[in-house]
Order: sequence, then structure tokens, then C-alpha cells
Amino acid sequence: MLGCQDFCGYYDWTFHYIRRRFGQDAVAKLWAEAIAEDSQSHYIKAGGERGLRGLYDTWVKTGEEEQCDWTFTLDEQKNVLRMDMRVCPSKGFLLDNDRNADEDYCDHCMGWIGPALESIGAEVVSHEHNHCGQCWWEMGMKDTPHQPLDLDIDIRKDHRWGSGYVESWRHNTKLPLLEKSGSSDPCQVLIDWFAQYDRLLVLGRGPSTADKWSADQAHDGVVVTDPTYATRDVFEGDPVGVMIGDKPVSLDRFAERFNATPPEQRPLLMHMFLPGNPMIDFVGAGLPRPVPILPLLIRAGLYRHRPGQPYPTTGVFLLLLAVALQKEAAVAGIDLYRHPSGSPYLGQAPGSEDFRWPDWHSQACDTSHIRAAVGSAEKPVALHPILADLLA
Amino acid sequence: MSAPDFYFAVNAIARHIHDEYGKDVLIDYWQNLGMEYYRERSARWAEGGAPLLAEDWQTYFLNEPNAQVAVAVEGKSVVLDISVCPAIKHLRDSKREILDCFCEHCDHTCGAMASAAGYRFEREGGMGSCVQRFIPITHEAKGVG
Repeated sequence: MLGCQDFCGYYDWTFHYIRRRFGQDAVAKLWAEAIAEDSQSHYIKAGGERGLRGLYDTWVKTGEEEQCDWTFTLDEQKNVLRMDMRVCPSKGFLLDNDRNADEDYCDHCMGWIGPALESIGAEVVSHEHNHCGQCWWEMGMKDTPHQPLDLDIDIRKDHRWGSGYVESWRHNTKLPLLEKSGSSDPCQVLIDWFAQYDRLLVLGRGPSTADKWSADQAHDGVVVTDPTYATRDVFEGDPVGVMIGDKPVSLDRFAERFNATPPEQRPLLMHMFLPGNPMIDFVGAGLPRPVPILPLLIRAGLYRHRPGQPYPTTGVFLLLLAVALQKEAAVAGIDLYRHPSGSPYLGQAPGSEDFRWPDWHSQACDTSHIRAAVGSAEKPVALHPILADLLA
Repeated sequence: MSAPDFYFAVNAIARHIHDEYGKDVLIDYWQNLGMEYYRERSARWAEGGAPLLAEDWQTYFLNEPNAQVAVAVEGKSVVLDISVCPAIKHLRDSKREILDCFCEHCDHTCGAMASAAGYRFEREGGMGSCVQRFIPITHEAKGVG
């Protein structure tokens, strides 16, 4: 049977199924019709009968059943029903179980709550979530003046709020993710940022970055991984994008360089936000929150997250991104730790012949992702001959 | 997190897919859910055989509110005698309209999971109580004997 204990896992998978078969609008329709009008009809009934008080009572009951670590605050004088979520059990299920089938699981809450409130003359006045299990909401009746609350338990005052990437809504409308892009869709934000670059040079950190082939590659934009941005190990110049890996090194040096760079010359910061990894406090590190890349890779069919299984190295994620963006690309420095020099990274002493991949990566995982991406690429992707030989 | 109101969503999603896209798509959804989402669970069944399959369902139903299920290994098969289906009970108790073909999700999702693990799935009864069987697929039946 389909039980309730693992519902959140296949709920996420269901969104992906609907999205890939019937498109983006179909998911919004599922949330508005199946979830808001049908599954959560008791919210509409309670809210329709007793306004914010009815919604408050219904949510409190749900919170007890779902063991939510949250605080609901009702101030009818100020026309505010506020929720501060400290640990979302629903997103928490995915994080705890290393699940990430769909582009953006957290969107489903706004997907049903927005239409549900609309149907009873109420609205989501403000909402933000950080995709790490923390979120806040202020709701109110539409025909009454609304006064925001200033609470000590505001989740934005909690240290956990610094993790993840934040998406925001005002009056039921999703706001742009990045100031420079007018889009609220992280996929479109990436497309917009890289629109001016026709040919990308994708640089891993392997020794092949330093040879003639790599130097000869024409390009109009370079993308690198976080250690390279922090230490300039394989690239001295200014990259147009930086992929911050799952286990970033030298974030303090990274932030120092980033913040010392004039804003108009700063690269786009990107990150995978993989569910099974500890979330990084980018805000605490003095950095803006990176743009997520998984939504675009999932939408492009280039990445499927497998719980508990190895995932690509950061350089390979950069390659997947270039293909998802439909760019011409040259790829160097992804030597799969098999460079003839024996060095795993440029400038490092040769290691032992039995280089051991960490448990969370594998050569098979990297090669299968590279092969699939290059095989489906719309534009030419030139692989460094060492990598091409390893794949042959 | 075993919140029974999630059964509302299971029922509502099935109704939505049925009404919006048709029964064939609903079946495809259920089957793919079994094949993709539950891939690892099927793999464990294949490896552990009937005892593990039985233990898996025993544990699963313990975490479903108000479920009353007897799980037995009969030879190489596993039998689930579900006297109270927790989903149907909660939907009925909450006066929710239940999709006519709701019980078929077990046929298609569990069927797909069973098939991936080397079993076929049978169900007798429904709408509150049923008996489900996971029966090993013989080599003859697979056509490789």
C-alpha cells in the first residue's frame, strides 16, 4: 500500500512525474486542485467559516499530527496569522532520507496554500523558505489592513536561516531569486546569467588544466570550482561562475576574494544543495546564497538523485551545467584522478597508484554522467584528450 | 512521520490524475512509482527473499495508524491479511469520497515492486480489508527455464 509514513518521499517523486510528463503548469494545477481543493479542503472549510481563527485551529491540529517544530501566532487585531517553522518534518523527511526527485519540493506549500487562501478571501502576505526546513509565513484576510509582527521567535533570527537558498513571496506572487535577474525561476536565473557567453571553459582542478590543449581553447567565459576561486590554483583570472562544492574548502579566503571584487565583476555563485549533505551557512561565511543548479539539471534530464548513492564531483557538475545551458564548452582538469603524472590535482605531489575515491563519489558515477551529458549535448563539448581517452 | 491526513492526498492525487489524464495515466503513475521510487525496497526484497519481504511489510504496517494486518510466510510466498486498511479507514472516518479504483494502487505499485523483486502480486477483496500475496515467479513462468 501507499502509506503515510513515507508519503513525503513519494509526494516529491509525484511532482517530478507530473512535471516531466505534463509540464510546469500541470504541477501547479495538481497543487491547486488535488491538494488545495480536495486533500486540504478542511482548511478551506474552516477558513471559510471562521477566517484566520479557523485556519489557526486546523494548522495547530496538523502540527500535532505531523510533529512540526513550529510556532503559529494569531493576532486577529492586526489581521495576521503567522507561522515560523524551525524544522519542517516534510522537507526534513527528504533531507534525512537523501531524497530529491523534483526541482523544488518546498514550492508545493505555496502551491496549495496560495489557492486555498484565495478561495476564502485571504492571502499569503509574505512567505520565505530556505529549502533546509525553515520557513515563515504571514497570512491575512484581503479586505482588512494587515500589520506585520515582530517576534522573538521569527525564524529569520535563528542561525539555521543562514543555510540554503531563499525564495520569497509577497501577496501570493513569487519574487525574483536574484536582483540581476527578473525571474523567480532558478533555472531561468542561470540561463539569464550565462546568456552573454557562447563558449564556456569548464575547469576542474586536475593537472590537465595546465597543458597546451587547455590553453588553446577559445572561450568567452570560464567556470571553476570553489577551491580554484579561493586559491587561484588552476586559473588566475576572473571566472564568470563558481560552483561551490558539497564540501567547500577555504570559504573564508573565498569570501575575502569575493567581497573584495567590485559587484559588477563578481561571478555567479552556484551550489548543488544535495539533500544528504550538511547544509552550509553561506550567510554566516559572509557570502550571498548561491543559486541552486539541481532544478535545471533535473529539468534538463541530466541528473537524477539516487539516495545513498555516489554523486558527481563538483567539476562534473560544472560540465552538466554547461550542457544544460546548451553552451559550447571545452572541458579541462577533469582527469578522473588518472592523469599520467599521478597527481590528483594541479600542483600536488603524485599520490599512490591506488587513488581511492571517497565513498560519496566514484569514477563510474562521473563517467556515466559525463557520457550521458556529452551524448545529449545540443552544442559541441570538447573534452580534454586525457578525459576523452579515459571515457573511450 | 505517520500523519494519517496524508491519505487524503494519496486519494486526491489519484483522483486528479484519473480525472485530468485518464485511467491509463493513473496506472502508469502507480507502476512507475513502484518501479522508480521504491527501487531500493524491491532490491532488498530480491536479495532477502520471503522472510525479508514479510518483515518489511510487518514493520511498514506498524507505522501506519490503525492498521490491522497479519503477515505470514507461506513457503516462498508472503501473505498480508489486511483486516483493517488504515487508508480506507481514515478516509471513511473523515467522510472523504474515496476514488472507486483507489485499491488498485496496490495492484500496480506493489505489483511493480513485486515484479522487480521476482514476485507476482495478487489481491483479493478491497475497500477496507483484503488479502495480498507476493508469489515467487517461477523460471517456467518467466520463460527462461
